Parts: sequence; structure tokens; C-alpha cells
Amino acid sequence: MVSRMGRRTNLAPYLFLLPAVVLMLVFVYIPVIESFRFSLFKWNSFSPEWTWVGLGNYRKLLPDPIFWQSIGNNIWYAIISVAIQVFLALMLAALLESHAVGRRLSTFFRTSLFLPAVLAITIVGVTWQMLYRPDTGLINQVLHVVGLDSWTRAWLGEERTAIFSVIAVSQWQSLGYLMVLLIVAIRAVPRELYEAARIDGAGIWRQFRDVTVPGVRETTLVLVIITVVGAFKVFDVVWVMTAGGPNHASEVLGTFLYRTAFRDDEMGYASAIATMLFFITFALAAVQLWAGRSGKDA
Amino acid sequence: MSASIHSRRGILKLGLAAGVAAAAPVALGGRIAPAARAQEQVTLRFFHKWPEPEQIAFYQGVIDAFQAENPNIKVQMDAVGDEPYKDKIRILMASGDVPDIYFSWAGEFAWKFARAGRALDLTSAFNDTDWKDNVVNSATEPYMWDGKLFGIPMRINAKFMAYSKAKFDELGLSAPTTWDEFLAVCGAMKESGLTPISFGNQFPWASSHYVGDFNAKLVANDVRMADYRLEADADALFIDPNYVEALSRFKSLNDEGYFNNSPNGISHDQARTAFIAGRSGMIYLELEEFVNLAESPMGQDGFGFFQFPSGTGGAGDQKLITGAPDGFMISSATKYPEEAIAFLKYLTLPKNGKEYVKQLGIPSASVGAVTEENAIPQVVEGVNQIAAASGLALWLDTDMNTKVVEAYLPGFQALLTGSKDPQGVMDDVHNAAVEAQTDQSDQ
Repeated sequence: MVSRMGRRTNLAPYLFLLPAVVLMLVFVYIPVIESFRFSLFKWNSFSPEWTWVGLGNYRKLLPDPIFWQSIGNNIWYAIISVAIQVFLALMLAALLESHAVGRRLSTFFRTSLFLPAVLAITIVGVTWQMLYRPDTGLINQVLHVVGLDSWTRAWLGEERTAIFSVIAVSQWQSLGYLMVLLIVAIRAVPRELYEAARIDGAGIWRQFRDVTVPGVRETTLVLVIITVVGAFKVFDVVWVMTAGGPNHASEVLGTFLYRTAFRDDEMGYASAIATMLFFITFALAAVQLWAGRSGKDA
Repeated sequence: MSASIHSRRGILKLGLAAGVAAAAPVALGGRIAPAARAQEQVTLRFFHKWPEPEQIAFYQGVIDAFQAENPNIKVQMDAVGDEPYKDKIRILMASGDVPDIYFSWAGEFAWKFARAGRALDLTSAFNDTDWKDNVVNSATEPYMWDGKLFGIPMRINAKFMAYSKAKFDELGLSAPTTWDEFLAVCGAMKESGLTPISFGNQFPWASSHYVGDFNAKLVANDVRMADYRLEADADALFIDPNYVEALSRFKSLNDEGYFNNSPNGISHDQARTAFIAGRSGMIYLELEEFVNLAESPMGQDGFGFFQFPSGTGGAGDQKLITGAPDGFMISSATKYPEEAIAFLKYLTLPKNGKEYVKQLGIPSASVGAVTEENAIPQVVEGVNQIAAASGLALWLDTDMNTKVVEAYLPGFQALLTGSKDPQGVMDDVHNAAVEAQTDQSDQ
């Protein structure tokens, strides 16, 4: 049975995987390792010589208040994103798929919630900048009209609100996208389970809790990982809207890394930030994968 | 060593390409023919920070004319905006893939390239030739490093306080010449319910122009230069109390309500729009922006300007104007130095300078380029005032080590939100300067 033919067929999948593996090696794994090596030197884009500093960049990084400010903002980003983009999206998805919402209305909501996801991030950023403007922005004007003048503020210009204003834009943009993925997952749950639940007298909430949620568990787990890792890697929307300002209040690891590398021109230090960022996202993904798997085994 | 550096750069290039998405879309030049032929086909790569269509049209026009005269040279232009340029030129430097001719701000930004041996020494090509007669010589000064010339100015820019003539007339105000008079003008506007000054500081280079001006006029020149160049003793860097006074004056404009609400929440362009729309009386503008006012509904006759009297009574030079030439440098690694010099020489010919002013309304650094015929009166007057000034105080954010700048800029935003006081900001600046000085001496 285990003939030459058999061995040849066993080799084929690996040959097909090879190009992808090579590309990953060249564009992901080697740069990751190189980035770690770079972080052991003090160097900039002009310097002909690199000075070996060992773990010096890391020793400098750990007490750096901007580093912790960035991590704090990334954590906020992750918490809010998981709550809204995964859990709120799941509820909305279940609602739109349930019989509570009519077919046409469901399509309408699905499309309108999905729409922001197809817009380019710079357009979204600039548009929201206008909405957030302190004097002529729509948000403050609406607050003014409804008599909530005390709530108006320079959303992107104040240290306390800047990061949350940016996070809100991300939620607005991505909610619909994740919701659609969850709708697909919900549709894959066998209809009979819902029927059986209904016959057993389960209401909408019980159906959601005991059929939908376990049914989309795998998808949800993947989305949580993607969202959390994405929240730690976020760069574009922050850079476009506040560039990490004012006074580093909305700095995230991505902008901190970029600023250090391409503004301050401290490539070694930036590589150390990149390495930390890699370990953080790697660890988060590992923990979640592990948590997900152990749950399934149990 | 060079081999290992080279491979490092190669890998870095990959890393950057993967990490910073689409960071440097600089067109790679055409294939370069092997050397040693008199009439070989040469491709020069030309990279600058003016991607606006009207700018591109001007440069393309010059390039076409140059190529017609020099059929063996092809110039390939690429441009990105002002903010991204700061990052992209560094990425290109790091990757070793440097364009033959590239834009650089004057002062420290340019000297950094000179120090690292990345810029071609143009001294002999410039001196004792007609090139020297074609370019405003004082504008070359900020491109001199260690007695050598590394850059050629393309245009001259400076900052003035522009005001709405209608608002000034309405309130019976006239252009102030001292700090107290300036405050009185602001006070009168505020009293009448008008926002005195439009100010957008979402990207804090905008405050660096204010503070740069305060510093130049309040801090003694030799002290300031020693600090900016990091030549002072480490404990003495940026500790002159006049720096604190500079920030205090800046902060007072905000505290008194002379700026619009929340400058950190709006961009400079939005502030300019607000000024044009008549929502304020004044705005601190670059000379090159005058054309935007003239072409707006405000019109050429709608605005006047004066030098910002920021430093009355200060220890600095009151006759300095904040501004700088903008210009180009040639890569020291270029394979075609002669051709690159020829192009730069052509670009800065007075006829092209005149065309520049005519098409773009921006003062060129070519001799005699700005005239009554091709520029609005305010620009002509602005250029005259620059000529009469004792010198230019360069943009603060391109005139010092980036580390010091990165301590200053967030500090400006913090001053405006009140989360830091002037002394606190200067403490950060001092610490950053000490660190930057140590780095420089390490290299």
C-alpha cells in the first residue's frame, strides 16, 4: 500500500505550500528576527556605524512613560473593540437573523452598517476630523442644539477625549464588517437546533444564549483574536486623525514606533518597540488560542 | 564593513517595505547605462515635497525645457506632501536608495545630511560661477555647513501676521509694532466679540513657528544658537529663563482667549479657512500662503500684514524674521553629479524663478524673480521686508535636533491644554537636548 505513488502524493501538498512558506519567511519571520537583532544596537538611518548596546534599548523602554501611555491606549482600544465589534456585533447579527426583524429591514440595516467598512481609512479619518471640529463640527453643533452645551469639547484636541474619539471611529468603521462575518457564522448553525429550542419553549434570548452563542463560538474566538491583535497593531486611523497628539495623549504602540523610527530617527529604539509589540500580540494570540482550545476539550 | 552594512540595509529595506505599508512609493529610476560614454543616457531622480497639481505643473514645465536642451538627460520627478516627506526621506536614506536631487529644509534638517556625508559639496560648483549671481546669496547661508555649501535655495518663505482690513477698519485698529500694542489689538477684538487670532495646532508645527519667533526675539542670539546647535555645556542647554518667557507669552495668548477655542482640535488649514470666512481678525501665516488669501473671497485688497512684534524688550534680535529658504540638495552617492548640478542650476535660473512666482505666487530665491508684474503687492512687500531683516530665524521644528523638537512639539499642545506649564516643557526640552548632545558626541 505504501508505495512510491503514495509517497509522491504525500509530497505534493508541501510543494504547494512552499511558495507561501518562503514568502512568509522572507517578509515575516526573517524581519521579525532581524528586528530583534536591530534592537540590540544604537543606530539611525544616517549613521555608518552601529553601536552595540545589548538590552540597553529595552532598559530605556520600560521606564518610558510614553510607552506605558501607548500600551494603556492600546488596552482601551482592545477592550472597547471586543465589546463593540465582537459582542455588540454578535447581538446585532443575531437580531438581524432572527424573525424579530423583517427581511427587507434586515437587508437595509446590514448594508448600511457594512458600508463604512469599504471606505478608505484616510477618507474616514478626515471626515471624522471635520465632524469632531470644536467650532463647526456636527457633533458639537448637535449637542448645542439639544441643549447639551456642557458636553461639547474639542474631541480630538483634548487629552482626555482624543483616544476615545479615535476609538469610536474605529468602532463605527468595523462594526458592520464583523457583524456580516457573524451573520455568515449564524447561518451555518443548523436550523433544527432553533426549531428544537422553540419547541422546548425557548424565547429569543434563550435561543441566542444557548443556540447561537455556542454555535458561533469558533468564529467568535477567531474574531476576538483578530480584534485584539488589531487593536494592538492599530496605526493608520490614529496617525491620520491625531498623529498621537495632543501631547502623546492618543499615542498607541504603532504611532510611538513610527514616530521613534521616522521622526526621532532612533532605529534601534524603534526596533525594541517593534519587538515588544510583536511579543505582546503573539502572547495575546497564544493565550486566546489556548483558552479556546481547552474550552473545547472540556 | 561596507558589505555587512549593505546587507543590513537590504534587509532593512525589506523590513520597512513589509512593516510600513506603502511608505515610499518613489519611482525607481530607469535602468542606468554603464558609465564612460560622453553622450550616455542619464536618468536623474528628483524628489520633493510639493505634490500639488500646480506645483507639479511648474516643475514638469522646467523639466521638459531642460530635457529639450539636454536630450541625454531624463529627469524623473516624484513628490509627497510636507508631513510625509519628513518620514520618507529618512526611509530612503536608511535604505540607501537616495534620489539624485532631493528637497531639504534649511538648517539642522539639511546639516544632518551634510554631517552624515549624504549630500554633495556644491561649494566650488556654486562659487565663482554665474550660478552665484542667479541665487539670492543670503538664502544659501542656512545650507552652509562647516564652511561648505550643501544646498541651493529654491524659494524663500517667512511668517507674518496677516489681518483682515475690514475688521481692523471696523474697530479702528492699526498694525501694532510692539508686544503691548499687539496685546491691545487682541484685547479690542475680543472685547468686540471677535476671535482675535485663528490658530490650528492639531499638528504642532504650527506652534513651533510662534515659539521659534518668541525664542529668536527674547533669547540672546549667541545663547540661542549654542542651544539649537547643542554646542552649549550640557547643564546649560536650554536653561536660559527667556525660553520660559517665550512659552509664557505664547501660552498667555491662549489663556487670554486671543486664540480660537481649542487650537489643538483644528488644523492650520481649517484655521485659515476660518480667518478667510471672517471668523477672526488675524492669523499667523507664511508668505507663500498670501496667494491663498488673495485668491479667496477675501481678495487681494482684503488683507494686510505686519511683522509679529513678539519680542519687544527681549534680549534677542528684534530685526529677525521667522522664515527660511526651501531648497534642494544633491545626493553624495549620485552617479551623475555633473548632470544633477546642471539640472539644479537650470531650475534656479532667474527666468524659471520669475515663472515660479508668476505661476504659484510664491517668492523664488532666484535673483530679481519677484516683481510688481508677477506678484501681488503683499508678496513684493514681504520679500522687501525679508531683505531688510537682519536675518532669518529658521523654523524651530527643522532647525534643531529632532529629539529636541520631539520634546518641544507635544509640549506646545500640553501648554494649550494646560497639562504642562512653561517651566515643565523647558525641563523636558533640556533633558532631550542633553540626551541628543550625548548621542551626537557618540557618533
